Amino acid sequence: MPKCVIDGREVEFSPGENLIEVAKKVGVEIPYFCYHPGLSVVAQCRMCAVEVEKMPKLQTACSTVATDGMVVKTRSERALANQKSVMEFLLINHPLDCPICDQAGECDLQDYSYEYGSPYSRYTEERRTFLDLDMGPVIVKNMNRCIHCTRCIRLGAEVLGIREMVATQRGNKTEIATIDGRPLETDYAGNYADICPVGSLLLKDFRFKKRVWFLKKTATVCEGCARGCNMDIQHDANVIYRCTPRENLEVNQYWLCDEGRFNFHYVHDADRIMEPAVRADGELKMTEFGASLDAARAALKGKKAAVLLGTDLTQEEAKLLQEFLPKYLPNASVFHFGTPGIVSEADDAPADKILKRKSKTSNLHGFEKLGFKGLKTLPTGLDAALVIRGGRATLPELKGLSTVGIGVFTREEAATFSVVLPGLTFAEKDGTIVNFQGREQHIRRAIFPAGNCKALSEILAMWAHGTGGNA
Amino acid sequence: MSDTETLFIQHFNEEARPLSYYLKNMAGYTGLKKALGMSQEDIINEVKKANVRGRGGAGFPAGVKWGFIPKQSAKPKYMVCNADESEPGTFKDRDLMRYTPHLLLEGIAIGSYAIGANAAYIYIRGEYVREAKLLEAAINEAYQAGYLGKNILGSGFSLDITVHRGAGAYICGEETALLNSLEGKRGEPRVKPPFPAIAGAFGGPTIVNNVETLAGVPFIINNGGDWYAKLGKLEKSGGTRLFGISGHVKRPGIYELPSGSITIRELIYDYGHGILGDKKLKAVIPGGSSAPVLTADEIDVIADVDPIMKIGSMFGSAGMIVVSEDYCVVKLLARISKFYAHESCGQCTPCREGCRWMEEVIERIEHGHGHEQDLNLLLSIADNINAKTLCALGDAAAGPVMSFVKKFRADFEAHIRSGKCPNA
Repeated sequence: MPKCVIDGREVEFSPGENLIEVAKKVGVEIPYFCYHPGLSVVAQCRMCAVEVEKMPKLQTACSTVATDGMVVKTRSERALANQKSVMEFLLINHPLDCPICDQAGECDLQDYSYEYGSPYSRYTEERRTFLDLDMGPVIVKNMNRCIHCTRCIRLGAEVLGIREMVATQRGNKTEIATIDGRPLETDYAGNYADICPVGSLLLKDFRFKKRVWFLKKTATVCEGCARGCNMDIQHDANVIYRCTPRENLEVNQYWLCDEGRFNFHYVHDADRIMEPAVRADGELKMTEFGASLDAARAALKGKKAAVLLGTDLTQEEAKLLQEFLPKYLPNASVFHFGTPGIVSEADDAPADKILKRKSKTSNLHGFEKLGFKGLKTLPTGLDAALVIRGGRATLPELKGLSTVGIGVFTREEAATFSVVLPGLTFAEKDGTIVNFQGREQHIRRAIFPAGNCKALSEILAMWAHGTGGNA
Repeated sequence: MSDTETLFIQHFNEEARPLSYYLKNMAGYTGLKKALGMSQEDIINEVKKANVRGRGGAGFPAGVKWGFIPKQSAKPKYMVCNADESEPGTFKDRDLMRYTPHLLLEGIAIGSYAIGANAAYIYIRGEYVREAKLLEAAINEAYQAGYLGKNILGSGFSLDITVHRGAGAYICGEETALLNSLEGKRGEPRVKPPFPAIAGAFGGPTIVNNVETLAGVPFIINNGGDWYAKLGKLEKSGGTRLFGISGHVKRPGIYELPSGSITIRELIYDYGHGILGDKKLKAVIPGGSSAPVLTADEIDVIADVDPIMKIGSMFGSAGMIVVSEDYCVVKLLARISKFYAHESCGQCTPCREGCRWMEEVIERIEHGHGHEQDLNLLLSIADNINAKTLCALGDAAAGPVMSFVKKFRADFEAHIRSGKCPNA
C-alpha cells in the first residue's frame, strides 16, 4: 500500500482516498464544513486547507487525493492562519444566537469557533440578514445562520434525486432556498437537518424541545420497513426526543426517511393502551394482568381461533411463540401479517430509489426464515383470534371475532377487542430483526416500558403458568 | 506603427463585412484548408512553436494546453471559445468579433480539428448582442460555403459551431464557471483538477481558448509557428498583442503591436497621446481591473506577461486603465471592490464574505468614515483571500486592494484624517 506522511506520522492509504479520510486514520482531525463523505466534493468552505510539500498554495484536503510519498502539514503556521481566517469570515455575518439555537452543542461552527476562532471580532459593519419562507412540515430554515456549505443542495440533487434546494442570488447575497419558495417535497427531508453543519436547517418536530447535550443515544435499528436502517434513538428521562441515522454503508449509508425518523411518536402516544384491559359493558376497562389473562384464556377456549403474528416482532419473540403456541393453542392456525398486499418475502421490493421497502414492517424476512406463513385471507368459520404485534404491523379486519390482543395497540385499534395485554415497542425491548438482505440486526432498549406494559416473554410465562403473577 | 506587421487591426474599420472580403483580403480559410491536410500533432506542434500565450489573462501557452487533450476519449471532445470578455478595461475581443468574425471561426475550426472536436461553442458575453448576431451571420455564411458543417472541404472532418450567450456574470469568464453555464448550470467555478482538458464541457475533454488566441491560429498555420513566434520581441511570447487603452488618455482605443515590443510609458504617451488635459499620470492598471496597480514610476516596463509579473503585477488581458493625477484613487478602488463583491459567485467562503467586507470598509473610508486601523484591516482581509479561494476571482479582488493601499497609502490616510475626500 502507498504511504504518505501527515503531521509527521506515516500512514498507509488506498488509492483515491482524500487527505481528510487519510488523516482520520492516524487520529489527525482536519476541520471541514462543506465536505461530506456521502456527497460530491466541492471544496467551497476552504476550512480544510492544509500545506502540502512542493505545492506553493494551500490545498483543500477534501479535494486533494493522497499520493505516495506526499508530505502534509495540517497544523503549519499557514494552515492555522487560514483556519482562523475562514472562521472569521464565516462568523462576521453569523448571528451568534447559540443560546436560542437548537444546533448548539452539536454545531460544527460552534465547535470550530472554540477551537480555531478568535474571541474578538474585527467586523464593525452591519450584518447581512434574510427573511425566511416556510419550508413545509419537516424543516424550519434560518438563513442568517447559514454558512453556504451547499450540503443540502447536493443532498437533494445527488442522493434524494430531487432538485428542490437551490442557491438563489449570488455572492454575498447568495441564499439557500427552495425553487420558487415551495415547501420541500421529498419524504427524506429530515436528512437536510442532519447534514446541515449549523442551525440553518432544523427539524420542526424537535425544535425547542431539548438541549442536545442532555440527550442520550441508543444505537438501534429502524423498524419502519424491511431495510432496517441503522439509527440512534435520542432520549432523556425516559422520553424519546428524536431519531437520527447512524452510518452503515451497506444498509442505509448516512440517511433515514421521514417515516422511519418520526415513527417513534407512537411510543408516547396518549392513545396507546398501557394497562391490561378487558371489555365489560361494551368498553375496555383497565384491570390487572391476572384478571385479563383469565379473560384472555376464556375468550379463546373451545373456539376455532387463528393466531396472527405481526412481522414487527423480533426473532426471539417469534421463536418463543414457535414453542408456546403448539402447547397452549394447539388447534389454532398461525399466520404472520404486516403490510396489506405483502404476504411473503417475494412481495417485498424497493418502494423508491433510495431506501424504502414495500414491506412496512421490520422483520418480514425473519418470519419467513422461521417458516411462518403469511396471511392472505382469514380462514372461514373462525370465531376467535389472538393478535400479537409490536405496534407497527397493519391489523387485518377482525370484526365479529372474539379477539385477544398482546402487544402495542391504540384504543381505536382495539375497538373490537375483548382483551388487551399491553406489550413493548421497539424502543422498549432488545431483539434481533432480519432485513431484506438477510442481515441480522439488533434493536436495543432505549427507554423503560411505559405504564404497565410487559415483555412478550413475561406475558406468555404468566399465561403458561395459569397465573397472573403479582401484576 | 506602419513599419511593424499587424495581423488584425488594419481590418478594424468596417463592420459586418461579408465572407467575400475575408476570402479576398485576408487569405480566408486557406489556413483551414492547409490544416486539414496536416496531422493533428503537426498542427499542435506549430502552435507550440508559435509561443502563443493565452490572450485571456493567464498567459498560458496555447499549444501546451492543446497538447493536454487525451488522444483517446470515450466522451466527445469540445472546443470552446471564451468570448465572455468581462474584465473591466478589456474590449479587444469585441472588435475582433465585430470586424473579423470569420478569422475567429477559422481559428476555432483549425483548433477543433487539431484536438479532434466535432462541436465548438462560442460563449459570448451577454451584453455583446451585436457581436453575437454578427457571429451568427458569419457562421451561416461559413456553413453555406462549406467551411463548417459536415465533411468540411471534402476532408471528412465535420464541425458545428454554436454561439451561446452569457447572462451577465463576470465569473463566467472563468473557464470552469463558463463550462457550467454552458451546460445550463449555475455559473460557478469547478474544483480543479480535473482540468477541462481532461473533463470539461459535458464531462468531455475540452479546450477553452480566448478569442484573440484563436484568431491568431490561421496565421500560424499559413505562415508557420516560427514566423509567428518571431513577430514577438520576447523569447517566450510570440505574435502581436491587442492593447486596450482606456481611462484618462487623449486617444483611448485598441492598438496592435508585436508582443513585448513596447513599454507601458510608450503605450500611454506615444499611442494614447498622453494624459487628458496634459495632467500628470497617477496610476496605471496594466491588465484589466484585477491587475495590481502600478504607480507613475513603474511604467517603464515592457508590457508583456513576464516583465510585468516580475514587478508584482499582471499583464492579464492587456487592457490598460490609465488614471490621471486629479482622480481619487480611493474612489477608484471603491468602485473596483464593489465590482468584485458584486461579481463574486458566493461559492467559497473567503471571496463571498471577504469581498463584501472589503467593499464596505473602502466605501466607509471614501466617505470619510474610516479609521486608522482600517488600512491594516484591509490588507489583512485581502491577504486572507489571496491564493486561498477556489478560483482566481478571490485573487482578482485582493490584488487591487493590496496594491492600492500599499502604493497610495497617503491618499487613504488623507481621507481618514480629513473625514472627506481631499480631491472633492
